[in-house]
Amino acid sequence: MTSQDNGTPSWGARADHRVLNKDTRRLSGPEKVKGEAIYSIDRHVPDMLYGKLVCIPVAKAEFTVDVDPAMEIEGVVIAIPLREGSTLYNGQAVAAVAAETPELAEDGARAVVVNYTPQGFVVTAESAKAPGAPQVSSRSPNHAPRGGSNDKGRGDMDATMEALDASDFVVEAEFDVAIQHHACLETHGLLADFKGGDEATIYASTQVAFGIPGSAAGPLGLDRQNVRCVVEHMGGGFGAKFSMDVAGRAACLMAAEVGRPVSMFNDRRQEFETSGNRSGSIQRIKAGVAKDGEILAMHSDMDKLGGVGRGPGAVQPYIYNVLESFTLDYALHTNTDSSRAMRAPGHPQVSFAMESVVDMLAYGIGADLVEIRKRNLSDPAYHRQLDRVAQEIGWNEHQHRTAPGKGDGWIAEGIGFGVSTWGGGGGPGAAAEVRIERDGGVTSSIGVQDLGTGVRTLVAMIPAEEFGLQASDVLPRIGDTQLPNGVGSGGSVTTASVAPCLKDASHKTRLAFAEHLASVLKCEAKDVTFADGKVFAKSAPDRGLTWKDACATLPAEGLARTGKWIGDLQTSGAHGAQAARVQVDLMTGAVKVLKMVAVQDSGLVLNPLTWRSQVNGAMIQSIGLALYEGRVMEPDLGIQINANLGDYKLPGCMEIPELVAIVDDEDTRQAVIGVGEPPAIPGAGAIANAIHNACGARITSLPITPDKVLEALAKLS
Amino acid sequence: MKPVQDPEAANQRLSRRSFLKGAGGAAAGSVLATEMAQAASEAHTAEPEVLKGVVQVSFHLNGQPTSVQVEPRTTLLSALRNHHNPPHTAAKSVCEQGNCGACTVLIDDQPVVSCLTLAVRVEGRHVRTAAGLAQGDQLSPVQEAMCADDALMCGFCTPGFAMSVTACLEKNPAASEEEVRRACSGNLCRCGTYPHIFSAALKAGRAMLQAQKGGK
Repeated sequence: MTSQDNGTPSWGARADHRVLNKDTRRLSGPEKVKGEAIYSIDRHVPDMLYGKLVCIPVAKAEFTVDVDPAMEIEGVVIAIPLREGSTLYNGQAVAAVAAETPELAEDGARAVVVNYTPQGFVVTAESAKAPGAPQVSSRSPNHAPRGGSNDKGRGDMDATMEALDASDFVVEAEFDVAIQHHACLETHGLLADFKGGDEATIYASTQVAFGIPGSAAGPLGLDRQNVRCVVEHMGGGFGAKFSMDVAGRAACLMAAEVGRPVSMFNDRRQEFETSGNRSGSIQRIKAGVAKDGEILAMHSDMDKLGGVGRGPGAVQPYIYNVLESFTLDYALHTNTDSSRAMRAPGHPQVSFAMESVVDMLAYGIGADLVEIRKRNLSDPAYHRQLDRVAQEIGWNEHQHRTAPGKGDGWIAEGIGFGVSTWGGGGGPGAAAEVRIERDGGVTSSIGVQDLGTGVRTLVAMIPAEEFGLQASDVLPRIGDTQLPNGVGSGGSVTTASVAPCLKDASHKTRLAFAEHLASVLKCEAKDVTFADGKVFAKSAPDRGLTWKDACATLPAEGLARTGKWIGDLQTSGAHGAQAARVQVDLMTGAVKVLKMVAVQDSGLVLNPLTWRSQVNGAMIQSIGLALYEGRVMEPDLGIQINANLGDYKLPGCMEIPELVAIVDDEDTRQAVIGVGEPPAIPGAGAIANAIHNACGARITSLPITPDKVLEALAKLS
Repeated sequence: MKPVQDPEAANQRLSRRSFLKGAGGAAAGSVLATEMAQAASEAHTAEPEVLKGVVQVSFHLNGQPTSVQVEPRTTLLSALRNHHNPPHTAAKSVCEQGNCGACTVLIDDQPVVSCLTLAVRVEGRHVRTAAGLAQGDQLSPVQEAMCADDALMCGFCTPGFAMSVTACLEKNPAASEEEVRRACSGNLCRCGTYPHIFSAALKAGRAMLQAQKGGK
């Protein structure tokens, strides 16, 4: 039975839920497993052209471009220059063509003549900092404080130095995190469905459908209100898809020019080179601890490798209490594309260094790795979560609890820990409509896109709970700017932004329906009860109507209400702890993750089934960051040499450990919180710590490839 | 679905000429590596015939006869998605280099990446995609288990995984998790559905075994 509270909408007690907080199958499942789900890259419309970008394969160049030769190929319909003068990084697009088939578009792109002269560039941290290095930007030096030239650092440097001196044990290390790629399987791009006239529909792969009309209107030469964006299904985003990118703009320009629809999506190389990476970082850290485990001091000097961008804001000390700290936060520019938001931008990088430092300090004073964490974390959520992951990973039975393994023998096993934080709250601006039809159909509408997280299913679950129905009884409509306002999906805000609107709309619709049914059921509106597909007066549960019969009493137009965001239905403040158990092959340096455990709070979990998938996915991406993934730049050529899914190593079927994702059920907040980012934070640190715990090899550089393990082991002996 | 042809018979029919033409000569033959080698050695003696312009390729798609008109260079993936009428987008385009498995289809029941297969190679053969697994609304055991276990998130890798798992279980419904992992080791997922794919595959295998017992 649903909460029948007639006042302000609330999620109600978890014990009363029949749909929410229960494992619910993803409603898009059947069409996805049948290959019938139509993604934007799958859209074909009559008369459609295929677009292809022309990119310059050096880091920095001055160039001229001649598109005319492309037009001599039969089937190439248009070729346009996209920019003139110079490029700043490898793979920047300078022209675009569109043709009758993708094969002819490739011919056209090859035929475009680009004359370029390479210019001096820097693509690595060392070369960017070298004296006399070519400057990436005319506005700021290659190495500059992120906060501007007046930024002299955060914290009290003198007090930090004194606290370091007063520490019983001090560690000093440099941490290096490689650039990770989003590697969404559906590349960036869109279909600009324009056939002349004054309207267009954009089928985009985007995390912010409502942002597209404003971006596309200019290049299409249309009014923003006449441009619709549809995102029926989307092949991943992870933070990379917040603008329509060059491919999207070029498709719109060409569609406008020829009055025919143009579909243009990045190829995989373009996706790697120009369309999404997590910033790298170099962090030089000195930290000190007291014998009793209190972290007394931390001095951090951080370089964020955000390419032509500044990189994200997250800094040390991360999460843990540190008595005195001083942090320098620098951008270190290179001639590579700007980093983008990627699942908790900046956080996994600082978490990796911080968790490593905590372990180094713990071993220095002989402290238990779980206890030292609890000693320096105030929030009780972390204490219970650490205890829980420790139990699940087998910490209490583990050999190396206060000192690492010695690296002897052939195979070593170790355990490591990490914690995470995130907001996860939503904000106002979205709206939802819930509609009941006379034939019993229920439609729940909100324009938000589903990146693969499972939002579509929540859109149906919330009204289903309200009406005593099942999720499959409700038709969710999403991903369309003609529907009520959605929200951009970034920063884990989606669920906490849209769920309150859906709840409000469902609640209002139920109250209105109850009002209508009161005369039919001969009771007061407040006593109309919706449960198990039936509607009845509270006093007479046996004499009710089926849902369908109740709906048949509605007027022809049915019944609909819209809902808006209600802050009380969501909150922010997510906490999590993770543990990893790894096996290190001391002969080859190969690391195998055997098991990972995540305990995560996020308020009321609306769908635990898709929640677990989200948390599993975050752990798997952490395994990639820890062990496999990293952009490799050729320092002298300035190009990426692993810009494909063969040479850029993603975790695959053979690398997946046992994964355990646990909802922290001691979090009883009656409000929703997003969970996209937080579980993506602590995994890399936990894995690095587990490797050290196994064999004593402290590797401070991600990804931890076998060569680094062997090198560290060699230093031990 | 047609069983794999007798390799002897396929050898006799496969020549450099028929390979280039993609004509009826290789009809329904399962081209194994050894046959490819033989075809290559024959090429020294056989008269080459290079296909140009647009050619028609006729084949079976999910049991139905169909054809596409494509340039000989066209991959099966592009032929299905961009040249077939209507566009057949169950096979996904992700890497175009055989790295990710998202375009996996079954040709005469063997899993192949359609981005590295020329369309002319499927002349007369049987191509199966994820769109052909279900009987109407009745999902196949693999599809049903994938939905039940949430073995999909964004879903872009899903049709490819569904085909790799299907090929694995059609050979051996009792496949172990290790065997499932190996069968799918050419498929990549970025959202992180792997553990659910493995559990779904084992569940589907049990359902298929149960159905076989029930059928006997």
